[in-house]
Amino acid sequence: MNKPCTWVGAFAIIIFSYTLNSCSVRRGQDITQQDFVPKNKHVLNGQKVFMANCNKCHPGGGGGLGPSINGNAAPGFIKRFQMRHGLGVMPSFKKDEISKSDLHDISKFLHAWKTYR
Amino acid sequence: MNIYYNSHSTFSWIRNSFLFLAFLLFPLINASCFRMRASKGGGQIGVIPPRTINPSDIALQVGYQIEPVISGLTFPTAVAFDDENNLYVIESGYSYGESFSEPKLFRVDGNKTTLIAKGTNNGPWTGITWYDGAFYVAEGGEMDGGRILKITKDGTITPLVSNLPTMGDHHTNGPVIKDGYIYFGQGSATNSAVVGTDNATFGWLLRKKGFHDIPCGDITLTGQNYTSKNVFSKDSGSKVTTGAYVPFGTSTTAGQVIKGEIPCTGSILRIPVAGGQPELVSWGFRNPFGLALSPDGRLFVTENGFDSRGSRPVWGAGDVLWEIKKGLWYGWPDFSAGKAIQGDEEFKTPGKDPVKPLLQKYPNDPPKPTAIFAVHSSSDGFDFSRNPDFGYTGEAFVAQFGDMPPGAGKVLFPVGYKIVRVNIDNGVINEFASNKGKRNGPASWLKKGGLERPVSVKFDKPGTALYVVDFGILKTDDKGSHPQTKTGIIWKITKK
Repeated sequence: MNKPCTWVGAFAIIIFSYTLNSCSVRRGQDITQQDFVPKNKHVLNGQKVFMANCNKCHPGGGGGLGPSINGNAAPGFIKRFQMRHGLGVMPSFKKDEISKSDLHDISKFLHAWKTYR
Repeated sequence: MNIYYNSHSTFSWIRNSFLFLAFLLFPLINASCFRMRASKGGGQIGVIPPRTINPSDIALQVGYQIEPVISGLTFPTAVAFDDENNLYVIESGYSYGESFSEPKLFRVDGNKTTLIAKGTNNGPWTGITWYDGAFYVAEGGEMDGGRILKITKDGTITPLVSNLPTMGDHHTNGPVIKDGYIYFGQGSATNSAVVGTDNATFGWLLRKKGFHDIPCGDITLTGQNYTSKNVFSKDSGSKVTTGAYVPFGTSTTAGQVIKGEIPCTGSILRIPVAGGQPELVSWGFRNPFGLALSPDGRLFVTENGFDSRGSRPVWGAGDVLWEIKKGLWYGWPDFSAGKAIQGDEEFKTPGKDPVKPLLQKYPNDPPKPTAIFAVHSSSDGFDFSRNPDFGYTGEAFVAQFGDMPPGAGKVLFPVGYKIVRVNIDNGVINEFASNKGKRNGPASWLKKGGLERPVSVKFDKPGTALYVVDFGILKTDDKGSHPQTKTGIIWKITKK
């Protein structure tokens, strides 16, 4: 009986921490190094889709109208969940705006971007 | 046993209740995150510090260096180079915050300036270009309407077109010259086509009571009207209702047709280089500020997107880089970056009603943008790299003036205050020059000596040096904008 609650609780703690993290971290692009070069077509596509949909509120993954996501430690599936369903003032992006494969490519780009930074 | 069971049960209940509460609180905190937090714009500084200059406070892409060329300018907005690669700069003569002075054109030699020409109390001079032995300047027209001026080196000023309808929020911008025509931008009178109390805060509504936006072609309204305080009444409780494309305090009805006119607001127009009547190039813009030609001769424009202000606030609208196609309508006031804003949560200001459309039908589907910049970044003047010796050939280098909250809308962190480069083939934006440190912001906010508010960039004749026009310090607060004279700087970026 307690097991489902524990899983729900663990999930809650993860996204709770993620939320606080999102609200507090402010890290922009570090430009004191070589250019970012996408290592494959998924990362490149993720970068393009990010630029078209996400960059305006999280420029370079940093804070702006929205919080910074560069320092966000949440797992990719939670970020994709938030992109698809929205939370708070963050809008949702339906499948006709960002396809499932594009969502995964954004995750790949954000991972590569974090490694680059 | 019983006791153990009870205490264990109580512990589990407390633990699970806490976790459940945390789960419930998550969306609440997330939702509250934006609305509960104060705006943290880069212009929201307390005491205004003196302008200091320290190039080492600026981070550049590897292999580049930056140096100040001249400082102490008052509201510089653009530079140009003559055939001998001499540097010229214009001071705008007007800044938000109702700061009026005389616009000026200077020649810059070392750290000395020589006055070439002086305008009247009708700034801001927003842009300058050199063509066939003369300068061409866009005069914003805050007092008497926009003009395109031809200025010769002896200081003679000849207006090529006058009385352009840009006495509102945004001005006559540009210009660039292509195929014997001068192309220029016409800013909109308002944020989103409805005159409101925000325009009185800007200042112009109290001077030009009947001024409003003018469409370039006939439009049919949905009849949306907005109630606001009557800024012309001494009765603080007095209200007025205002529709789109009409003067403050005038209502509209569904199906009402507003006749198009040339010249209009929110558009790209052109005139022959010798002067003449303006012709329509394209329309449906909010504030088309920067204009530049790509190396292959295509015309591009930066558009400052909606603010979250006034009677019809629009939230989350990024600035845009557009390629200009003749005859097209680009979406303002019902689209942002090619996306319909009607009822979309993406554009709904937190705590306000969803945005409703103003037009019953659209001239065409808006095109796809080349790139979308950060919301409130104020992505302004730009230029294209043409010389492989500088690098990034074909990319657009864009100056980002930076946010202006709280008037323009709240931001969680400073936005802009840097130079970005844009790959116009895929819309990818990268930083090129910005202030060092974990926090982004203007030098005055960071208490450093780097970039303040870059408003335009221009490559020199050979294309090996990028000149950055830094407008200077502009503080923003609840009362509006507070520009600081003699804080403008011209920077020069070269490859090491």
